Amino acid sequence: MPAVAFDQATVAVETENFPQPKVLLDAVNLRLDEARIGVIGANGSGKSTLLRLVNGLIQPTTGTVTVDGDDTVRAARKVRRNVGFVFTDPLSQLVMPTGREDVELSLRRSVRNGTERRRLAEKALERLGLLHLADQSIYELSGGERQLMALAAVLAVDPAVLVLDEPSTLLDLRNRELLRRTLTDLDQQIIMSTHDLDLALDMDRVLVIEQGRVAFDGAPADGVAAYRSWCLQGLDATRRDAT
Amino acid sequence: MRGHGFLLANYVPGTSLVHRAPLALKFLLVLGFGFLSFVIVDWRISAAVLAVLAGLFLVSGAGVKRLWRAVRPLAPVLVVIGLFQWWQLGAPTAARIVLNILVCVVAASLLTATTPVQRILDGVVHLARPFRRFGADPERFALTIGIMLRSIPFIAGTFADVRDSAKARGLERNPRALVLPVFITSVAYARQTGEALAARGLGEAED
Repeated sequence: MPAVAFDQATVAVETENFPQPKVLLDAVNLRLDEARIGVIGANGSGKSTLLRLVNGLIQPTTGTVTVDGDDTVRAARKVRRNVGFVFTDPLSQLVMPTGREDVELSLRRSVRNGTERRRLAEKALERLGLLHLADQSIYELSGGERQLMALAAVLAVDPAVLVLDEPSTLLDLRNRELLRRTLTDLDQQIIMSTHDLDLALDMDRVLVIEQGRVAFDGAPADGVAAYRSWCLQGLDATRRDAT
Repeated sequence: MRGHGFLLANYVPGTSLVHRAPLALKFLLVLGFGFLSFVIVDWRISAAVLAVLAGLFLVSGAGVKRLWRAVRPLAPVLVVIGLFQWWQLGAPTAARIVLNILVCVVAASLLTATTPVQRILDGVVHLARPFRRFGADPERFALTIGIMLRSIPFIAGTFADVRDSAKARGLERNPRALVLPVFITSVAYARQTGEALAARGLGEAED
């Protein structure tokens, strides 16, 4: 498995209402080399920021992030080729009118020959059982089919690492299960943020992010239990304050 | 999010004569009809050309439904233009202008309904190659066209959604309630699309 390493990675952004930059991620040190890594935490805790650092969508303000030794800032293009990214909403990810065309778009840079590109696109779609939906408008697909289509477009170029930012948030139970099974069969290293704690339990390692820091790093069952407990404590405190 | 209201028809796989026609010929056909719309002065010729194009559309197997879906979003605008021109310049001129617009839309739809987007993009890359000597990346030309094809239905769908939500709040006559959300959603969509392209390494300079 490729190793993703965070060395004192901090992300801070300037905001209009505060004189000091807002810290989204605070001096994170991590080495991720397990096959399945789950990232859980409250909304706005910094999960998405952590994931976006992995494929260079966001650059660290200070510190470094490397994927298999390649710096995500200095070797951004190489990193993006090795790290596929799946967004929460597939409609913002699929940029072509149909799934086939979107998968072929992914392949345009690496495969110049149109016939070969078409063959590889069909192979990528077939792998996820989507070939029968290849020519349907992306608007006619269900949420789960769209998410799998977005996944197929990313997997078509065979990245070594797959980063997924809350991929099951918009899916119903059936489609969530379909996505879960699909992910189980993949060879890629997977780093995934999720609010689905059952999905987090399938991982090899879980990180809990709290206010831009790694509050827990370890076994999934312990991570999920710690997260639940913090959430409930926070809720109780809020209710006490309200009364 | 609704994705209807697309002006150009999506590709329909097939083996018709139109499907098999060379891409360059189809490109020229669209350009030619666009040019003709400025030249034709008789509405009867416009009607005949439109009938031929509609016939070709149906022969290609793309179907009446798809043809109607390509034209329908434009219908309210055409009615307004037609009535205005009728009032200003008379019925024959109004008919000619409306029919010529339809000729352009149906010709473009015939191209997109019978040619896979990737082939159109290959054609754009081919056409843009001479610009490489000026530092332009032909793949970026293709990507721009591709994104344009995808963005039209998104923005049309956004407009339909915003209109419905304005109606639900009794604000359907308030232009701000209609225009501002569409504008904001479109900007957000552009940002998301940019991020999605960056994540996939698309649109970067060639190696």
